[in-house]
Amino acid sequence: MAKQPYLKVESIVKKFGPFTALNGVSLDVYPGEVHALLGDNGAGKSTLIKVLSGVHAPTSGQIHIEGKPVNFRSPRDASNAGIGTVYQDLAVNPLMSVTRNFFMGRELTSGPRPFGLLKMDEMDRITHDEMLKIGIDISDPQQAVGTMSGGQRQTLAIARAIYFGAKVLILDEPTSALGQKQQMEVLKTMMRVRARGDIAIIFITHNEIHSKLVADRFTFLALGQVIGAGTHKELEGEDIRRLMAGGAEIKDLERDLAEL
Amino acid sequence: MSGRSESDRLKQESLLMRLVRRPEAGAFFVMVVVIVLVTIASNGNAINPLGIKNNLAIIAQFGIIATGAALLMIAGEFDLSIGSMIGFAGMSMAMMLKWGLPFGLGEATPASAFFITLAMTLSLGWLIGTIVVRSGLSSFIVTLAFLFGLRGTTEVAFRLINQSTQISGLPDFKQEYFFARIFGGESFGWFYDLWFALGGNLNRRDEQWVTGLDVRVVWWILIVLLAYIVLNRTQMGNWIFATGDNKESARANGVPVNKVKIGLFMFTAFCATIFAACQVFDTNTADAAKGNLKELEAIAIAVVGGTLMTGGFGSVIGVVFGAVTFGLVANAVFYIPWIDGSWYRVFVGVVLLAAVFANERIRKRITGGI
Ligand SMILES: Nc1ncnc2c1ncn2[C@@H]1O[C@H](COP(=O)(O)OP(=O)(O)OP(=O)(O)O)[C@@H](O)[C@H]1O
Ligand SMILES: [Mg+2]
Repeated sequence: MAKQPYLKVESIVKKFGPFTALNGVSLDVYPGEVHALLGDNGAGKSTLIKVLSGVHAPTSGQIHIEGKPVNFRSPRDASNAGIGTVYQDLAVNPLMSVTRNFFMGRELTSGPRPFGLLKMDEMDRITHDEMLKIGIDISDPQQAVGTMSGGQRQTLAIARAIYFGAKVLILDEPTSALGQKQQMEVLKTMMRVRARGDIAIIFITHNEIHSKLVADRFTFLALGQVIGAGTHKELEGEDIRRLMAGGAEIKDLERDLAEL
Repeated sequence: MSGRSESDRLKQESLLMRLVRRPEAGAFFVMVVVIVLVTIASNGNAINPLGIKNNLAIIAQFGIIATGAALLMIAGEFDLSIGSMIGFAGMSMAMMLKWGLPFGLGEATPASAFFITLAMTLSLGWLIGTIVVRSGLSSFIVTLAFLFGLRGTTEVAFRLINQSTQISGLPDFKQEYFFARIFGGESFGWFYDLWFALGGNLNRRDEQWVTGLDVRVVWWILIVLLAYIVLNRTQMGNWIFATGDNKESARANGVPVNKVKIGLFMFTAFCATIFAACQVFDTNTADAAKGNLKELEAIAIAVVGGTLMTGGFGSVIGVVFGAVTFGLVANAVFYIPWIDGSWYRVFVGVVLLAAVFANERIRKRITGGI
């Protein structure tokens, strides 16, 4: 494949004081692909995406976007570079309408900031159209987000990130707090975004089945290091389960449990 | 399953139903009941020409500070220093008018006294806001400190410079200065002229009785219009809602939440200053006790108007209804001789509690029950 990775992460180290949360993590993320980032609790997944989205500066290592080295000093920098992060709990404001959420911080106005008048009709229309593109037909863009389902909220956050120019979409456990049906909704949304072909998705999950359903490429983290990586084809089903548990065998676990 | 879409799940409601479900509906209903009751119990005196003037004077006072308090609450913060800020601003203006500008800069005019005072109160608002956002402390505690600190400062300054905590008998600046009439003069003269021309508004000698409303009514209307437009129609308004609803999410989306909060603390200080200026130039007096407890009334009116204690939601129009309700009940004792004025506070307590419950129901409906 002659494809160039949109985002290339090279030996990122992140230390919190004496604690090494990431110890030389590398990964390549390609447009039109879902890249699953897997690993046990505390492996460093969230820390890695915080580095990628400009929340933490790496202790060492380099991030490249389209081959060019970049340094993010703030989440703003990262989002200007096309990295859109959808945090599980940080996604939306429940008391505000869908449209007001969609354009939060980037409102369309006529007149000088920040007292320019909102172009509410235009924002309503764009919100409706963008949500429809990734599969949710909201009847009333003025409806409060609090009345939407969890899956719809994730979709709102994803649609928003894409509309505002995300080329890499980072989803941190987007399905973990949802019911079965809504999990499928989010996976479908991801596949629709993938089908556009120009957006790369980093998908963090603890769910083996979900990752196998949608991911093209996998990276496994354990104790801050990459312990395995590869495309869907390169990895066997059994491998994935072992790597997700940080390299432990299910048989070991069975033995441990038997000893208790 | 097929042919069914998400939009079919939302039932179209009638206009009436939509109005009833609006957050201001409860405040509107209470207001109508109070207007009817006060009118009947006062034999109509509460809405005769003088009654309207006097009622609107206090309604406008309430409305001015409650609007500021409501916007701040929507952004998720409280300001308990409003009352002390009123006392401080009134003291500052009256003292300059009586004793001259500070640093021996000569005689004060109404305009110079007002603008120097406004510069001070806006700076105080900025300071309060900055302390709140920088320290991460609850605005309840920070502004409580300013409630005491500012009131004490006002009293000390009065005694040091003026030997007394009151100033009375200032010249009537309204006669000479247009600027003083902006705060202390009359407005809506045409309304009373028209009333007179139509055969009403007569005193005992059959002359025109009342000539106009206090000009603070105009300030109230301006502040309400400004607040309504900013909150509902501008980018700033979206930032105010977002800041109060979920600060972290707002920040992650690029909303400058700290600036929004600091700006709103300055806005409540501005409202308090307008309140004080209207009082000083209307009566030509000042008193260190002015504005006492006004911060709590402002918050109560904001809540009765449908503002959530937890932020993120509220209505400027609801606050208008709340101010009308509170003003009428506070004044009721003047029109209903047999009523004990302390019922006002009983009323405030009951209505406040009812409003908090009603608001909680609204919040649950919006957030889907969490
Ligand atoms: N700000 C911080 N200061 C100190 N240590 C931190 C900080 N953030 C994370 N860590 C530590 O880094 C390690 C990795 O945490 P991280 O949140 O990245 O794990 P994770 O892979 O996302 O786990 P989970 O699956 O539970 O979400 C943890 O041991 C955590 O305690
Ligand atoms: Mg995590």
